[in-house]
Amino acid sequence: MDPSKIIVCKCENVTLKDVIDAIEKGYTDLESLKRYLRIGMGPCQGLYCLPIVARELMKRTGKSFEEIFMPVNRPPINPVPMKYFLKKPEGLKSHG
Amino acid sequence: MARAEVVVVGAGINGVLTSYFLVERGFNDIVIVEKHYPGSGGTYRCATGIRASFTSAEHVEAMKRSIELWDQLSKKHGFDYRRDGYLWMLSSEEHVEMFKKIVDFHHKLGVNTRIVSVEEIKEIVPDIKPEGLVAGVYDPLAGKADNFRSLLNILSFILNKGVKLYTNTEAKKIIVENNRVKGVETSRGVIEADKVVIAAGYGSREIAKTAGLDLPLENIPKHALITEAYKYRIKPLLIDWTSSSYLVQVFHGGILIGAELEEEPDKPAINRIEYLYTAARIWVKYFPWLAEAHILRYWTGYYVMTPDHHPIIGPVEDIEGLYLITGFSGHGFMMAPAASEALADYIVEGRPRLKIMENLRYERFKRGKLIKEIAVFG
Repeated sequence: MDPSKIIVCKCENVTLKDVIDAIEKGYTDLESLKRYLRIGMGPCQGLYCLPIVARELMKRTGKSFEEIFMPVNRPPINPVPMKYFLKKPEGLKSHG
Repeated sequence: MARAEVVVVGAGINGVLTSYFLVERGFNDIVIVEKHYPGSGGTYRCATGIRASFTSAEHVEAMKRSIELWDQLSKKHGFDYRRDGYLWMLSSEEHVEMFKKIVDFHHKLGVNTRIVSVEEIKEIVPDIKPEGLVAGVYDPLAGKADNFRSLLNILSFILNKGVKLYTNTEAKKIIVENNRVKGVETSRGVIEADKVVIAAGYGSREIAKTAGLDLPLENIPKHALITEAYKYRIKPLLIDWTSSSYLVQVFHGGILIGAELEEEPDKPAINRIEYLYTAARIWVKYFPWLAEAHILRYWTGYYVMTPDHHPIIGPVEDIEGLYLITGFSGHGFMMAPAASEALADYIVEGRPRLKIMENLRYERFKRGKLIKEIAVFG
């Protein structure tokens, strides 16, 4: 199948071809690919795209999964609207 | 054993740009060692704002040069940089009086800030609900740059010119013999060099200690969040002066918010849920629609503070071949072009092209010549 027609990242509309081109350009780690293509930075926070891109990286660079290592997951993991943070629940202590 | 003319510790924007300005002058025998991956310290976590509206001559002059260079670099290396301004939002007349003095200071140094009315704030930021505001200060020369592409594009340029980058490689020790730098011991072996640059952000103090240098640096944990992307509408970076909180819409569209939590220096920067409450309550007041915006990520980082809140840039008198570019106190991304240019000047010619940069050398702390500011601000 034509890699330019395979969507790897639905949030940022990144195709498999974009990923292959970026790897060929020298972006051979997940963290740099993330900043270059914005994969993993949309509403899904990498849930769908990062494993696919990691697999592609392993295939094309011969690196092991450990070498490719997954980027850090930042809270809140799933997108949460700001309205839920307008009222501090009682008992939430400040420990600064 | 590996050898290079210059070893740079840290592949953040300052390590990369120092190497870049050396490459521009014909040097490419440079190795950059990076503990994690390029940009992984402050550069990729920063708010991306760029301004010259500071309260010391050193900051203003350095930033005026940086702003010229940001323009040139962005055109040459194809990344976004725009002068979309900074806006300080003021809620008390007392603050307005203080800012009037700051604006006078800016005008003397050729920075065109101005006090703006609430009506003008509404024109500059169309969606804002100016609750409690009495005035603002607008800086039209300020702006922001894409922190991802600026680093990636310039790094890729210098790598093509022969600079070497070792990622996942930790600098363990700076080797010094008879007050001269001899190289760097890394987690992958020793690299010999007569010149070593410490551009290691929050790791600078640790690595400098191995050369017998106790830099007066404190790492202060900071917090930031970003929402999903919206159409680019909020052009200036906004600072709510009363809460010392900022909001910036990055070019890609996400709304990035930073807010203050009380923190102790040199403690691990950890996520605290109260940060989300603090940030939401400050900014939903000004942008009610933000209540429906989804928070995608919340991360922490450090400001690497010096006693006078100005960076340390330049060679170290007592250790030949050791150069410092660190301690930016929250302004490392914006100052990187001018700071890195100055450091490359030191390495090649022994002095920076902007004489005022000489005030930023490490020895100022030993001699008690700290930088003076007309007000503590930003």
